Amino acid sequence: MILPSYYEFCCRVKTISGQKALEKIPGALARMNSFRPMIITDKGVSGAGLIKLVSGAVGKKVKIGAIYDDVPADSDYKVVNAIAKIYRSKGCDSIIVVGGGSPIDTAKGVNILVSLGGNNLLDYCGSGSVKQKLKPLIAVPTTSGTGSEMTLVAVIADKDRNIKMAFPSYFLLPDIAVLDPRMTKTLPPFLTAPTGMDAFTHACEAYIGLAKNPLSDTSALQAIQLVSQNLLKVVKNPNDLNGRLALANASALAGLSFSNSMVGLVHNLGHATGGVCHVPHGACMSIFLPYGLEYNFHKVGDLIGDLLYPIAGAEVFAETPKKARPEKAVACIRQLNQDLHDATGGRHFRNLKEITDRSGKQLVPKETLPLIAKTAIGDGSKVYNTEEITYDDALMVLEHAYEGIPLNRKLIKKGGKGQKF
Amino acid sequence: MNINKYPEIKPGVKYIKKIYIAVMLFIVGRAMQAASRIDKTIKKEFEDLPDGFTFSLGILPNGPYMIVGKNEKGKVKYMGWNPAGKKLDLKMGIKNMEVAFLVFSFQESTTVAFAHDRFIVDGDLTNALAIVRVLDLVEVYLLPKIITKLAVKRYPKWSELSPVRKHINRILIYVRTFTV
Repeated sequence: MILPSYYEFCCRVKTISGQKALEKIPGALARMNSFRPMIITDKGVSGAGLIKLVSGAVGKKVKIGAIYDDVPADSDYKVVNAIAKIYRSKGCDSIIVVGGGSPIDTAKGVNILVSLGGNNLLDYCGSGSVKQKLKPLIAVPTTSGTGSEMTLVAVIADKDRNIKMAFPSYFLLPDIAVLDPRMTKTLPPFLTAPTGMDAFTHACEAYIGLAKNPLSDTSALQAIQLVSQNLLKVVKNPNDLNGRLALANASALAGLSFSNSMVGLVHNLGHATGGVCHVPHGACMSIFLPYGLEYNFHKVGDLIGDLLYPIAGAEVFAETPKKARPEKAVACIRQLNQDLHDATGGRHFRNLKEITDRSGKQLVPKETLPLIAKTAIGDGSKVYNTEEITYDDALMVLEHAYEGIPLNRKLIKKGGKGQKF
Repeated sequence: MNINKYPEIKPGVKYIKKIYIAVMLFIVGRAMQAASRIDKTIKKEFEDLPDGFTFSLGILPNGPYMIVGKNEKGKVKYMGWNPAGKKLDLKMGIKNMEVAFLVFSFQESTTVAFAHDRFIVDGDLTNALAIVRVLDLVEVYLLPKIITKLAVKRYPKWSELSPVRKHINRILIYVRTFTV
């Protein structure tokens, strides 16, 4: 275990996990002196009947001020501005967000505006802008991936500039996260797979990230183990409620972990690809994760080797020589991607070339790679990657990920071996 | 109740460290101005920033600071040490003097300092990263390799910055930093 010379760790999200967890929300709201929440969600969630479930559990005891169910797939600052107006006009006093990463990030953005004032979220850019307690926020995740219910950052897009902006602040941590397996039960396998890999990526990157610490390590390893043991099982049997709850917990643990140790190359390229080509975040994470690990072998190979234990189990870990563990861990992740690809009938993507939208249109044409690389070097995640990432490095990794071939490690420019934490 | 038994504690001032950091910030600020006219990469980074862009880098809460920005002609200028009255698009601050001294005396690399949450960035993060890239290159020019390697994640390879170009630019930047 690595004990850094200095670290900071914070988690103050009350977590309510289990069957019938939703029914605890009215009491939790009352304890925060809130009686008129606004529900924020997206069309997919409301269409799946999940808002009825939440309203049924909450609405008997609490008057819901407003329901906004039109959050787009990529949270956008203009939508945040619009929802804040509705919140104010309806006299709401708290937010219940039901959904995946996009609604939760949107709700965090809304909470900034309704708590601190103003009409434009862009006025709060930068890491030091949110400096005080915000309105009560309860997050009910409906995907097991983003971990946004445990994170201090809101990632919100500026579609005019084709970028995703990060708003980090401890005050953006939701007050309460409610993990109820009924909320993820209806998530189809082709979405369960990438969202599960998203949580997996958070945990892996947290474990090798520059700001890692013993507390974030503990939750990262637990999250990796839960995903490894349950993801494929749940994709094959979506009604497995215990598996669903395990993945919801994995997502929360991974969120808790990366929120305190930050993420690196995988998210750097993922944010850029999402920003430029509007590719779902989970798909990017699944594809870039093996590359993100390979790129950092020379710096944190031993740590990547450690990941083999929660990924493959004690026996495989013990029978693999120490030197071979990093390679083996990456091979296991590629195999997991392949298994998910097979289990979803090819709807879980293994490389950038394969990513298509519903109409079958390729979302990441090869000619967009230079623009993605350019966008990546302006993304904050690069700061926490152990190896430097320049435009050329990003493009090199993108070209490998496009074809789906293992990274040619001779092409990596190495800034020394090992990493001081 | 004798209120004098409960004295107010006023923050002290660490003069030597403050002077050391102020000098370092002055040199780095002037060097950024000089390097923006000599190094093509730095010039391009500044060209990509918005017109009139101005930023500060300093020690919280009371300085010292350095202010650098683009003037109306798009030229990069060192604008002194006092942020008062200036419209700043980006404020980068190190949380306290002790930490700043660790960073500026190269006992803690910029990378590790970020990981240890020593910095506060107020403004657009994309622009902040551009400034960090410029600062890294300025360090490469100002300092010997053995020290710069302590500060940056990866010292530029020959393919990225040839030794000839590096040494010529280094001389020119030093000359401009202390003369023009």
